[in-house]
Amino acid sequence: MTHPLYGTTAVAGVGLRQFKRGASPLPERSLLVEAILDACLEAGLNPAEVDGFVSYGDDKNEPVRLMGDLGTRRLAWSASVFGGGGGGIAGAFGLAASAIISGQAKAVIVFRALAEGASGRMSAAVMAHHLNDHLLAAGLVSPAQMCAIRAQRLFKHYGVPQSIVEDLVRASYHHARNNPDAVGFGQDFDIAALRTSRWIAEPFRLFDCSRENDGAGALLLVSAEHAQDLAKPPVYLLGCAQGTEAGWGDLLENDADDLYATGGFRPVARDLYRQTGLSPADIDCVQLYENFDAQGVMSLIDHGFCTYENAAEVIRFDNLIAQGGKLPVNTAGGNLAQGFIHGIGLPIEAVRQLRGESANPVSGVRTCLLAGGPGAPTVSSAIFANKVL
Amino acid sequence: MNHRLDGADAPYWQGLETGRLQLPRCASCRRWLWPAGHRCSTCGSIGMVWEERPLRATVYSWTRTWHRFALTEALDLPYVSIVAEIEDCGIRLMGRMDDASPDDPAIGEAVVGRIDRTRVGDDAIPTIIWSRAA
Ligand SMILES: [Zn+2]
Repeated sequence: MTHPLYGTTAVAGVGLRQFKRGASPLPERSLLVEAILDACLEAGLNPAEVDGFVSYGDDKNEPVRLMGDLGTRRLAWSASVFGGGGGGIAGAFGLAASAIISGQAKAVIVFRALAEGASGRMSAAVMAHHLNDHLLAAGLVSPAQMCAIRAQRLFKHYGVPQSIVEDLVRASYHHARNNPDAVGFGQDFDIAALRTSRWIAEPFRLFDCSRENDGAGALLLVSAEHAQDLAKPPVYLLGCAQGTEAGWGDLLENDADDLYATGGFRPVARDLYRQTGLSPADIDCVQLYENFDAQGVMSLIDHGFCTYENAAEVIRFDNLIAQGGKLPVNTAGGNLAQGFIHGIGLPIEAVRQLRGESANPVSGVRTCLLAGGPGAPTVSSAIFANKVL
Repeated sequence: MNHRLDGADAPYWQGLETGRLQLPRCASCRRWLWPAGHRCSTCGSIGMVWEERPLRATVYSWTRTWHRFALTEALDLPYVSIVAEIEDCGIRLMGRMDDASPDDPAIGEAVVGRIDRTRVGDDAIPTIIWSRAA
């Protein structure tokens, strides 16, 4: 039997506003309103008809406060995925779809907005969600350090060659170079800049870390039938899974030994593939949340694209780029080089890629995996497609 | 330090205050449990007993921090944080390492601990500082 999430809802519009960190010309909530208006405009849907909202990562913009600006007539449903990091980003689509399928809402905006003036540094906010005296005493106060300590095990215990993260970074900048909306637009990225950038927390240097931006992103999800009547070609949600399982979580570094150097996606990927009947071979491109490049590698491994043993054969620049690669990753530049509004740029690129609007189009693309924030106590992933396969 | 007495791990902090490492195990099936909780996930029993463990461990993983993050103002840069797997119980604890040697810590390397404090704002949090075992 087909899973209820399979192809029953679709993204009908997207909106993205992005600025340098601390440089937003508008207040955070106004940025969000603009992104939502853009998403509705693309779809040809009156923003007053949006009746549901969902976010993740402790977004501070409670939807009821958007009603005035959007002219909302009826706020029927609002929710947020638990978790302070980007782990919940894909899960937000599953939640939105559940609301639509069950008749609780008809037009749901999935969003994330972040401006330093209103929300402070994102990395600090994520960490404040998790901080406790065990971490403080060890001097471990940032996502960079928590992910670094996991990355050490990936490289030093499992022997994954550290050089492969460079290929992921290079592919991200390669894609950003062609994308006018990316922070890395038009720039040549010299890998020596990564190798010689200052240490943050070993094994991470500055350019191993994602950049924070001010901005907001919004995606409009409606039923698949409704999407047929709207302006843009529908991008269908084929499946979504979130959470974790025993052995992984908020465990003060006591995750199961065989899971410690993962992104935490094994149960999520397993359920997502089971739910959709798809496998890694069916995925034409990946929008990969990489808070840090090593965690991006773990996420690709967790999702079955490679193993600790053969990671270096798969995670190669030529294989990761849209122009001829078998596993195109982060075709807008990703969190590293497109910009980082807590990952919301990734599903937006998934939609643009599947519509054929990407700055780095993947030839013949049908499916796109969205992998949420790796290393979080709960994570999520989703698969989108431009046809219901 | 009162907020450290509010959680299920209060005996851990009380132990460090008196110079001892105390860790919890299930009163029924004896499984070591960390983070400290209320109910054993293996056998379902409620009730922990706290037992003292020697400050001996192996390095499970580590990072050396070079960037001045907020809340680390009292620590000299760079400093090494480790995840230490405590001998004979498998519980992993986060701590810091004396970094007198320029060598990187090695995963699996034996370390011994002493109890010191980490100043964060007005607080001084009891902390295990690990050194390479002689
Ligand atoms: Zn028990």
